[in-house]
Amino acid sequence: MESKPDGKGEGRILIEHVEKVYDPEGVNVHACRDCNADIQPGEFAMVVGPSGCGKTTLLNAIAGFDNATGGAIYLDGKKIAAPDIIQSPGADRIVVFQGGALFPWKTVMGNIIYGPVMQGKMRVDEAVSEARDLMGRLGLSREIEPLYPGNLSSGMKRQVEIIRALINDPKVLLLDEPFRALDNMSKGLMHEYLLSVFELTRKTIFFITHDLEEAVFLADRIFVMTTRPGTFKAVIDIDIPRPRDFRVLTTERFVEIREHVKAQVEEESMKAFEAGERELA
Amino acid sequence: MSDSKQASEVVFKDVGKMAVFKKTHTVILKNCSFTVESGKLTVLIGPSGCGKTTIINLIAGYERPDIGEVQIDGKRIIGPNWERLVVFQETALFPWLTCYENIMFGPLARQVMSKEEAHQETLNLLVKVGLEDFRDKYPSQLSGGMQRRAELARALINQPKVMLMDEPFRGLDAMTRQLMQEYYLNLFEETNASHVFVTSEVDEAIILADNLLVMTNKPSKIKKIIEIDLPRPRNWNMVTSKRYLEIKAEALELLHEEAIKASTASGKVDVDLSGLLETTRAD
Amino acid sequence: MPDQTASIESQFWRQLKKNFINWSLLRQIMSFVLFLGLWSIIVVLVNYFHQIPTPKAVLMALFDLPVSAVLINILKSLARVLAGFFLGILIGFPMGVAIGYSRVAKHLIFPAFEMIRPIPPIAWIPLSVLFFVHNESQIVFLTFYGAFFPIVYNTMGGISEADIRLPRVAMSFGLNKRQMLWKVILPAAMPQIFTGMKLAMGITWILVVAAEMMSNNGGMGYYVWYNHTVMDYPHVVLGMGIIGLCGAICSVGISWVGNYFTRWQRIF
Repeated sequence: MESKPDGKGEGRILIEHVEKVYDPEGVNVHACRDCNADIQPGEFAMVVGPSGCGKTTLLNAIAGFDNATGGAIYLDGKKIAAPDIIQSPGADRIVVFQGGALFPWKTVMGNIIYGPVMQGKMRVDEAVSEARDLMGRLGLSREIEPLYPGNLSSGMKRQVEIIRALINDPKVLLLDEPFRALDNMSKGLMHEYLLSVFELTRKTIFFITHDLEEAVFLADRIFVMTTRPGTFKAVIDIDIPRPRDFRVLTTERFVEIREHVKAQVEEESMKAFEAGERELA
Repeated sequence: MSDSKQASEVVFKDVGKMAVFKKTHTVILKNCSFTVESGKLTVLIGPSGCGKTTIINLIAGYERPDIGEVQIDGKRIIGPNWERLVVFQETALFPWLTCYENIMFGPLARQVMSKEEAHQETLNLLVKVGLEDFRDKYPSQLSGGMQRRAELARALINQPKVMLMDEPFRGLDAMTRQLMQEYYLNLFEETNASHVFVTSEVDEAIILADNLLVMTNKPSKIKKIIEIDLPRPRNWNMVTSKRYLEIKAEALELLHEEAIKASTASGKVDVDLSGLLETTRAD
Repeated sequence: MPDQTASIESQFWRQLKKNFINWSLLRQIMSFVLFLGLWSIIVVLVNYFHQIPTPKAVLMALFDLPVSAVLINILKSLARVLAGFFLGILIGFPMGVAIGYSRVAKHLIFPAFEMIRPIPPIAWIPLSVLFFVHNESQIVFLTFYGAFFPIVYNTMGGISEADIRLPRVAMSFGLNKRQMLWKVILPAAMPQIFTGMKLAMGITWILVVAAEMMSNNGGMGYYVWYNHTVMDYPHVVLGMGIIGLCGAICSVGISWVGNYFTRWQRIF
């Protein structure tokens, strides 16, 4: 995989009037309504908002796990979610989950090469050398290759998962609060890691989080969602230059933007709190 | 702090502590020396696994140092007692007792209050932490924030000399966390105890602390002491002030240094064996 | 907020009653119907099984039941079960506490305990004849034996695996070791202790039936065996059913008591 600083024009996610209504046992749950967003190829997009506002629903629709009930989502012009199509998840949009989803019965290397080998896209030896290339570029030691996920620290597990996603050369990386359970120090390191991944591959990233510092630190643009039924209430440009490191966190511009985003989200959180939605730890 | 007679000073003198886990020995603390100033809120922050919880356990008296001494007001700490009480990360309320019974437990067990006195004090504290309507609920019926408040009350009723907080707000959502920090700061202002607060959140550390102690990786000691000269009572507007950002920048720099050292320690791999300890393979 | 969830929940139940409860209940009834149907068919079709009673035959036997005799047998079995069970608690519970709480006790007792534990209780039947003269005692010995191991094991487990922070908190409050045991360790271990008792109850029923089959002394196990010797299979099956019912009732009883003592756990 070569460095693609200009994004190669791939990975544009167009979200048009997307609506999602669940119907568990006849109690209508209106998760999303009229969501609109145009995420550019190679953009780092963050989605923030109060708990239960439909962020994960949207991610699932993009990933192909759960279809939209209204509107449409296009990936580079191809419809990937809409009531009139049958969805299927694809290797062009890969998800990294919150709790970590490595196969516990496979080694680190086994996990990483799983995708391409299973799909017949690469032979095992090709996949292994590709994996090693990625690991080297992202600073992971070869010593971890034979280890099982159970022996890794949480941060390291996330790193491996991200490589497992990357090796499939997806157009889009979808991350659903992947660093939520990590302590602050590990989180900081993971941010640096993710940013180096981003600089290296310039994939489109769609990242959901509750941590506003994380959002402002990583993103090109932040999409703020309202409470349920969720829609995008604001899109905030992060004009802090790249490459960014932790020193950015204490600059005035960063703090300004962060407070602005915080105010937007808090407004929604208050509404959610009053409506009885509780954020769960 | 009107009556600083009650507040105490805790001193770590060249403390060393080792943990043994199956066949591996890990040195957690080495040459660790610092002072918890009387009546102040001292915050400990550092990389994960660096021994912050060990320090709490040493002050509480649940563990003894292998080398060196831990002293309170000049006397060596040899075991746990009411003077040094802990509020843990996950609730350690007695699950078979109600909120009310939990709070009353300490004074009654120590036999320092009559039942009526304990009852009255418990009611006072319940009001103070805002749980008066939940007194007859069991811990499993309380939310995370409520459980923490109950635990604070359970400790405070004993008027300890040292309050030890081991990442007590970890796992709470952002809004609850902020509320808890406010509660806690109010309680701190009102009590005469010395507080030791462990956290891994930099913002939480700065807004709470009088003294911020930044720790190194294992084998850990104090890397730097940052005095937080922000005025009390603290409020959230300070978070955007210049002084705050200066302090934060310094703290981040120090922590980052340690984080880099940990992850690039001559190609060794940090392997987490139990979720509690991270041991490095011996060379 | 409780009120919100209550209203959503009641909506949910209303919808469920309207649309779904018929289906799921229907399916569950079908499960029984299918079972009985399959039973009848297999007995009729498979030649080798022709002696097995059909459901209908079992039902007929129910009307023919010598009620007072059966009741006496139930009481006999129950008495043996309860005797063994409570003996098991009497001896097993303190032992479990000792092993869980004291290192010395554990080192002295546990190795021998673990060595004997794998031996199935039923294998002790021959030796029980040597230990005790009276048949009744032999049977109670077995039920006791069956109850003993799960009780000790789970009591020990509950105590040694109790959250270590709770006794630490108690230590800070100045409790001595004795108070610690009664006020902190035992309450914390309650759920696990009751798990042990539930297991014990189940095992004692198995044992009482086995022991009674080999004795000549009444009880439901004997009843089943006797009817087998006179080839009255409908009554055999009926006896089996009654044993199952008794065992279930006893288990539920223990669950109720246990739930009361651990109500602080379940409330959420």
